[in-house]
Amino acid sequence: MISIVTELIALAAFTSAAVFGTAGIIGLYRFPDPYARMQASSLCGTTAVFSVFLGSLALAPSWAVATRLVVLMAFFLVSGPTGGHIVARFAWNSGIDPWRPVSPVIRPARRRFGGGKVERAKDSPLPPESGID
Amino acid sequence: MRAARAWRVIRFGITSIALYAVWLLFTASLDAFSLITGAVGSVAIGALTHDVFIAEHEASYRSFMPNPFLLVAFLVFLIYSMYLSSIQMLVALVRGHASPRVVHFRTRLKSDLARMVLSNAITFTPGTITLDLDDDHLTVHWFLATTRHSRAAGEIVKGRFEGYLRRVWS
Amino acid sequence: MRQILLDGMQWFLVACAVGAVIRILAGPSAADRLVALNVLSGIVLAFLAIRGVMEGQAIYLDVALVYDIFGFLGLLAIARFLKEKAMGAGEDE
Repeated sequence: MISIVTELIALAAFTSAAVFGTAGIIGLYRFPDPYARMQASSLCGTTAVFSVFLGSLALAPSWAVATRLVVLMAFFLVSGPTGGHIVARFAWNSGIDPWRPVSPVIRPARRRFGGGKVERAKDSPLPPESGID
Repeated sequence: MRAARAWRVIRFGITSIALYAVWLLFTASLDAFSLITGAVGSVAIGALTHDVFIAEHEASYRSFMPNPFLLVAFLVFLIYSMYLSSIQMLVALVRGHASPRVVHFRTRLKSDLARMVLSNAITFTPGTITLDLDDDHLTVHWFLATTRHSRAAGEIVKGRFEGYLRRVWS
Repeated sequence: MRQILLDGMQWFLVACAVGAVIRILAGPSAADRLVALNVLSGIVLAFLAIRGVMEGQAIYLDVALVYDIFGFLGLLAIARFLKEKAMGAGEDE
């Protein structure tokens, strides 16, 4: 009886892990710049991994395994973001420009940013007080 | 002078106890040999490293000692908000909507540890990544940005984390 | 049922790992590769947890714990190395 309940919990956790993991791997290929890839892949690297931990906690065969899984989850709460932060800080410090989609949900003032480079027409230089530098 | 010495003893004690707790957690055995080895090791390492573990200029006991019940409540809230923002990211990914933006804002938290936990919590929820933390100034890459106003962005990104953390490390 | 769940999750994680490895090999910039490496380390962690539960042996979880704690040190070392390399190249020019 109890085993059915734990298996159902594990089924729910593993299903969410499969959904988020697939989405994360797709996101790793869908976006053009490291920051956006990182945001999408944190679905796989954080949420799916945590769901797997929860599911295997429900299926844990003994207390020795279960306590270690709890400790592992506690450490993952610290180490997961730390790894992500190291990568993001590396990208930020090496000066990679964040990607701006052509038509985002909210549309800021239209600018001619293409691939992170400011394109200016040569025959009409922007006045120095335009604020774009 | 006297206060500094008492503070040093307290820091040494806290470091050794924390090390011993981790030792018990990892070895998970109650043999006499294991217990004694762990005690000797944690006292020795505590004597060597308590200056690194808790810096001397740390304001007081309350600035690094969390309230344990509120800390557990915060962790549960963190996991809940992780799933919530994961679902938002999933919807955005399927529909192909994205408005990535780098926002800057300040935090009101005083303790260094609480600031570090805040930036970790922001990175842990999918959709926001802390790029840089400089004293109280955070630089965050926000995937589903809805505003360009920096203070409003800060309130949205920090969410209720900051309010919880102010009570955890009061 | 239990065995099916664990087996399925294990093969799913292997498929995810293959996806991440392709990104590591194909990634145009160093930051892309590091992002994929970060994902891969999480997948390995989950895989170790699954194996530990499957075999019922805590030793897998001890390995996972140590991998978790020290895993980001490797990431830090690679990031530092790449940064110094980039800065050195900048000075040469």
